[in-house]
Amino acid sequence: MDTGRILSRRGVFAGGAALGAVTMMAGERVLLPHAASAGDALAPQHRPRLAPLHPREDQITDIKVCIRPFRAAGPRLDVERIGDKTIFHNYGHGGSGWSLSWGSANLVVGKVAATLNRRVAVIGCGIVGLTAALTAQRAGFDVTIYTRDLLPHTRSVRANGSWTPDSRIALTQTAGPAFADQWEQMARFSWATYRTYLGLPGAPIMFEDNYILSDKPFDDRPAPVPPAGAPGRMPRATEDFATYESRIRDIIPAVEDIPEAENPFAAPHARRHSLMIYNFGAYGHLLLSEFHQAGGRIVIREFHSPQDLTALPEKVIINCPGYAARDWWRDDSLIPVRGQTAWLPPRPEAPYGLDYRGAALLSKTDGVMIQAVDLDGLGEMTGVGNSFEHPDPTEAARAIGVFADLFARMPMVGG
Amino acid sequence: MMRTKDMIARGIATCALGLALLPGPAPARPPAASTACTELAHGADLYRAACAMCHGAHLDGNFQTPALTGRFVANWAGAPVSALEAYVHRAMPLMAPGTLSPDDTRAIVAFLLEANNLPQGKTVRVGVRKALACPS
Ligand SMILES: Cc1cc2nc3c(=O)[nH]c(=O)nc-3n(C[C@H](O)[C@H](O)[C@H](O)COP(=O)(O)OP(=O)(O)OC[C@H]3O[C@@H](n4cnc5c(N)ncnc54)[C@H](O)[C@@H]3O)c2cc1C
Repeated sequence: MDTGRILSRRGVFAGGAALGAVTMMAGERVLLPHAASAGDALAPQHRPRLAPLHPREDQITDIKVCIRPFRAAGPRLDVERIGDKTIFHNYGHGGSGWSLSWGSANLVVGKVAATLNRRVAVIGCGIVGLTAALTAQRAGFDVTIYTRDLLPHTRSVRANGSWTPDSRIALTQTAGPAFADQWEQMARFSWATYRTYLGLPGAPIMFEDNYILSDKPFDDRPAPVPPAGAPGRMPRATEDFATYESRIRDIIPAVEDIPEAENPFAAPHARRHSLMIYNFGAYGHLLLSEFHQAGGRIVIREFHSPQDLTALPEKVIINCPGYAARDWWRDDSLIPVRGQTAWLPPRPEAPYGLDYRGAALLSKTDGVMIQAVDLDGLGEMTGVGNSFEHPDPTEAARAIGVFADLFARMPMVGG
Repeated sequence: MMRTKDMIARGIATCALGLALLPGPAPARPPAASTACTELAHGADLYRAACAMCHGAHLDGNFQTPALTGRFVANWAGAPVSALEAYVHRAMPLMAPGTLSPDDTRAIVAFLLEANNLPQGKTVRVGVRKALACPS
């Protein structure tokens, strides 16, 4: 984890009456640093303010469960022939499918272009299929998506939806150094493409301050070495999972320590970084409209065996079925990694994120997302091998409880 | 045997949803249906234990999980029943794929066909009038 720049005292939190952690400004409660000084009271009013969130279980609007399509060697991007069709695989992006989608599409469409065909079929309309289809259109192809479901019904929209390009994307040893280079290429290309969707109406993509809170001082020691021996297909410990984020440090906003005096949260240690988030509603609709506007066609269809593809008119096919490749392509190299998010009503006046005690919260345009990332101290092994894709209300309540408790402990002033 | 009867009753109640949509009187029950009825009852029981949690007691699915009626029928129309069985065996239940025995898989698929008012047989045949397999 990056440490680094110390925040300027005036940079982060709301000014106003220095009475305590929270004060009333224009009728709303605002968090202030624990030790806000008289100096702060004089600070200009335009500094960013944090409204508190008080998540409650009885505010849940949805619990979404998803299976991350994890492959120890990284996503499957090889080429296979079935009859007279050439299949370009593009699946198995673990916990990084949104983040790497454009970069992965770029690699695959580059290979497709070399076939000189102008018509392409894309199987799947999750985030990986849809971005592959758009990338193919932008490269001049005539594209038809064949899919069982459109984006709003896919596993993709059951994700957390933030920039997590090396979240359970591969095992370091199994994937090897060549994949690390490929990952970097995908991550850089994706990041650059996402940036073209910033600043648009409806905020499909935006940046948000994310606060990492801790009861103990942050441990910046290097990660422990993985267990001896090769992990093969199955991760054995958190340390088996690849982390590549340091390779793109030059373009990703660094994490900053927040000095104690400026930490408004009831947790003794805090860090902050600027995090890119994907607002599924706005972004998903935008991508689907772009695809249609460019003349793309969507055929709703479910395939049962790879042989079914021989009936398609297109000779070139990009295969993006996500975790379903396990049964549709009979690929048992896919390991399920279960994850769940609970959704509460949107709180646009509190646009920030939190990571605390193994739970994550992101305030998004389509709701406040709360995820149990690692409530039981299992690290990256949480959910590994678990394909139980059914909501667990207890898990949701525990994750919400982490933040309910955090805000309940915050001293409040002003109503 | 009480248990079996009860299960059949519940299985048929599930089918009634689909049947209600179809016009015409139910055809007479074929002879020697008892083995098939036992399998259907077993299938209904297994469905409740292994599938209903996600796909719903009435096979109606939800936003995340596909219904096993309607589009399900269209998806499998004309396919060999063995392909449907192979899929169910390979992929379901999602939390423990491959754990259904071949007999249990056959029973569940027989139940799904029955629940959609489709005839049993080698192929998923849509639009064919079928006999009601079991007594209500
Ligand atoms: C809890 C959780 C949080 C996550 N958070 C993040 C995050 O913050 N950032 C991030 O980058 N990633 C995140 N991920 C990972 C990300 O969600 C996945 O990597 C990504 O959704 C995979 O997308 P996909 O398009 O490959 O698969 P899917 O979304 O599963 O799409 C597959 C498509 O193929 C179609 N299909 C499948 N089988 C067939 C068939 N037989 N016939 C026809 N069509 C078929 C489906 O209908 C669907 O359209 C998270 C995952 C989880 C579970």
